[in-house]
Amino acid sequence: MADHPLFPVSVVTPEGAAFEGDAEMLIVPGQAGEIGVLARHAPLVAMLKAGSTRVHLGDGEVREFATGPGFFQVLESRAIALVDDAVAAGEIDAARARKQLEDAQAELEKVEAGESTADRWQLEQRIRHAENQLEVSGAS
Amino acid sequence: MASLQDLRRRIASVRNTRKITKALELVAGARLRRAQNRIEEMRPYADRMQELMVGTARAASSFRNLALLQQRDEVKRVALVVVTGDRGLAGPFNGQVLRRGFELEREARKEGQEVVWLAVGRKGASTLRFRRYELEGQWAGFADKPGYHDAQAVGHKAAELYESGEVDRVVLVYNRFESALVQRVTTTELLPIRQDVLASDESAEEKAGPSADFIYEPEPEEILQRLLPVYLETEIYRALLESAAAFLASQMTAMRNASKNAGELIDSLTLSLNRARQAEITQEILEVVAGADALTG
Repeated sequence: MADHPLFPVSVVTPEGAAFEGDAEMLIVPGQAGEIGVLARHAPLVAMLKAGSTRVHLGDGEVREFATGPGFFQVLESRAIALVDDAVAAGEIDAARARKQLEDAQAELEKVEAGESTADRWQLEQRIRHAENQLEVSGAS
Repeated sequence: MASLQDLRRRIASVRNTRKITKALELVAGARLRRAQNRIEEMRPYADRMQELMVGTARAASSFRNLALLQQRDEVKRVALVVVTGDRGLAGPFNGQVLRRGFELEREARKEGQEVVWLAVGRKGASTLRFRRYELEGQWAGFADKPGYHDAQAVGHKAAELYESGEVDRVVLVYNRFESALVQRVTTTELLPIRQDVLASDESAEEKAGPSADFIYEPEPEEILQRLLPVYLETEIYRALLESAAAFLASQMTAMRNASKNAGELIDSLTLSLNRARQAEITQEILEVVAGADALTG
């Protein structure tokens, strides 16, 4: 890849920042497809679905995270992904992911049984997020 | 007066109690630091989320028809969400939240409103059940260390009750962590979401600059519809974290006082023990002297 200027990138969850620093490129799973952002991108607000978020640090070094649903904002050449959960690809905890999957599925069942009107889209994304993690960790 | 044997037993028992309260104090102190860190860690997320919401609301043409924002003209039922701990031994921590809850209940009933309860934490749930209140929802087992998904579960239930029209107002009662010494019972209106959280103050507007050149994907209205539940979850998550830190701080204080009281009790018991022992020795000497006098006399 050609040399790109670095710009500040953060992947933030309610439980703390998963990544904070300068990068060449950030790729996030937008609702309508992946969004790749370089330095000096136009201001953007987007919705994210569960999937893989990749931070290209330069020199071919890439950090990958399994991320839950959330939002993405580019402002003054700063890219911020706000997601409800982010796990580095190398640190996936299969037991935790399985628990997330079970919780989300139990809630989805309630929705389907008409007992709950919880946000269906979000639940589906959480199931997807858990499945992603299990797939990457090879435990599914 | 209690016998020497009894006093010794009591001193030993109070010593053991002091060991336990001291250990609990230390454990609570160590956990408190971690709980405070978690509050710090969520702050950037909450701040950015708020900025994003303000910006998106400004770009949206109409957001007043979103369900979670709609003020109802007539409030018929109120949901009270009380956040307590899973365990006691924390001074007034659990009691004061419940007391505020019952106050709010009385006020609501006076205005002819019905009240439903949602309990977070084992203590609140058991007290409410003991008083034969029906619980619309209860969550427990994470009071020391809440995760974001716990807040999501509570948030979903609250939003569901509100959207379905079962309740017209949702109020959250919890202990706010102000410092290791001060925990304040706080009442927050969860739903409907106040519209002024969407209105920016002027300084924020200057910082964000002109908002018109943002690209929104999808439309701002649709993003806002997803942002509102996330805002709700973030507010609840913040309350859970504050409550967890307040619980530990309160426990630490309670245990420190208990250790101090145990120390004082040990001192006073030791004093009685010494007095009793000396009285016994004096008595024995008197008896010996009296006996000797009787022989020589």
